[in-house]
Amino acid sequence: MAKYLCLQRSVPSDEGGKPSPAQMQEMYAKFGAWQEKFKANLVDMGGKLGEGKIVTTGSVDGPLVEVKELAGGYMIVSASSLDEAIEVASACPGLVRPGSGVEVIEIHTP
Amino acid sequence: MDKGHRLVEHFFRREYGRLVATLARQLGEQHLEIAEDAAQSALMAALESWARGSVPSNPSAWLFRVAKNEALQELRTRARRGRILRAETEAGTVLGSLAEPTEVEGDMLRMLFVCCDEGIPEPSRLVLALKTICGFDVPEIARRLFVSEANVYKRLSRARARLREGSRFPDCPAGEGAGMGEGVSEERVAREGAAREDDARSAYDARLSSVQKVLYVLFAEGHLSLHDEMPLRQELCDEAIRLTTMLATHVAGSSPETYAMLALMHFHVARMPARQDAGGGLLLLEEQNRALWDRQQILEGFAWLGKSATGDVYSRYHAEAAIAAEHCRAPSFQETRWDKIAESYALLEAQAPSPLHALNRALAIAEWKGPRAGLVALEKASPPSWLEGSQGGGSHYWPLVLADLHRRCGDDSEARRHGEAAIKLAPTEAIRALIARRLDM
Repeated sequence: MAKYLCLQRSVPSDEGGKPSPAQMQEMYAKFGAWQEKFKANLVDMGGKLGEGKIVTTGSVDGPLVEVKELAGGYMIVSASSLDEAIEVASACPGLVRPGSGVEVIEIHTP
Repeated sequence: MDKGHRLVEHFFRREYGRLVATLARQLGEQHLEIAEDAAQSALMAALESWARGSVPSNPSAWLFRVAKNEALQELRTRARRGRILRAETEAGTVLGSLAEPTEVEGDMLRMLFVCCDEGIPEPSRLVLALKTICGFDVPEIARRLFVSEANVYKRLSRARARLREGSRFPDCPAGEGAGMGEGVSEERVAREGAAREDDARSAYDARLSSVQKVLYVLFAEGHLSLHDEMPLRQELCDEAIRLTTMLATHVAGSSPETYAMLALMHFHVARMPARQDAGGGLLLLEEQNRALWDRQQILEGFAWLGKSATGDVYSRYHAEAAIAAEHCRAPSFQETRWDKIAESYALLEAQAPSPLHALNRALAIAEWKGPRAGLVALEKASPPSWLEGSQGGGSHYWPLVLADLHRRCGDDSEARRHGEAAIKLAPTEAIRALIARRLDM
């Protein structure tokens, strides 16, 4: 089984308004159901990504682009193919929606 | 990893209400919006963090910590922008020193009383309570009350404007057995003394009937609504019962009227499962399968009714609870003690004059002494134009009752005339079908 890095692209914006408490409860339940369904694939639930710096020889600089535009969060899934990894990621509630998408990248380990 | 992921029903809404109530007490309701935003942010943070990891062992404490920090940060931001008022600095100081909330129930009750500020128009009170205490957002409130979102916004902003300029409502008087726990309350009471407590008591007493009214309306919105979506209606009734129970079990709100109202609510929800047939059509009381009535709810109703029979006040809630109790007690429609019901309607009319009560009393008399007697009782009452329905507008209810009583007396042409008026005025398809079935039209 190969591992895949899932990067959440662009931050979830405020468009569409804030979810109500009842909607949050629903989102929470859906996320839980998704985790249960794909628990064999979920290696690392990851987390949100914050600020960062780019380190090159001799200098430490800010990131080339806004870090938030780069990625809002990450997680690692295992799957037998890129397609399967995409299936897992795209079924994740809240990950694929207007203003937010997910990039799935294979991790090559020796 | 998937351990501890389950949260109780309505967890987010309940926590929202608690957070807002506690923060609003600490900050003062002048800063209600800061409290609401902080509660919202804390819940969002919880959603993000708990979904990935696990729920902390004390979720409420976790949420409170995050919400408190959010509120503090907002106050600091305002201070930096130079827009801070003295009151805000003080609020921040108090908030900063606040440990875990120890009197959440008191805070929730206090918020309920804050919603019933004399300067807030009545329609705004209900909406503010639904928003801050029950944790519904604007679209959800609009859907439940059958009004537009713009209307909800308008009512909310009126309420908030009033609270911003008003003075701070006192803390909830200590309940029996409360305040013996950790620090905050004990110190406060010791410091400020019993005089302060008495002032709080009278402030709460002065608003109690308004609070009861809001809860009554909340319940009625669920129970009497023409909404077809049963779960939404049930939810409003459940919220009303939850808050009224809180009121009834606290020293600030326990009164015979509160008990009577709570009894009334239990009697009504007990009968809700039997009001519709399998296809969602409405059923008449005499058609309902009484085996579907919720016995547990009826028992609770009688327990509160028993408690309400103290003191010398006989309120409209007592009368309504007495009527509902008679229905719940009767083994069948025919065996109902209609004389008692007619009597209670007469008392209710004396408490709260309304043509609807006159109408219901006539119906009870008709069952008791026959349809002709029911019609005679109605002759003495005159319906207001909005209830008569003869010329435009109006309710279907009055002509429906007339049609039904005439039909039972055998006056077919009169029955038909009123029946047609009733069908024309029926507000929903389900009610229209019910009338047609009842009148054989």
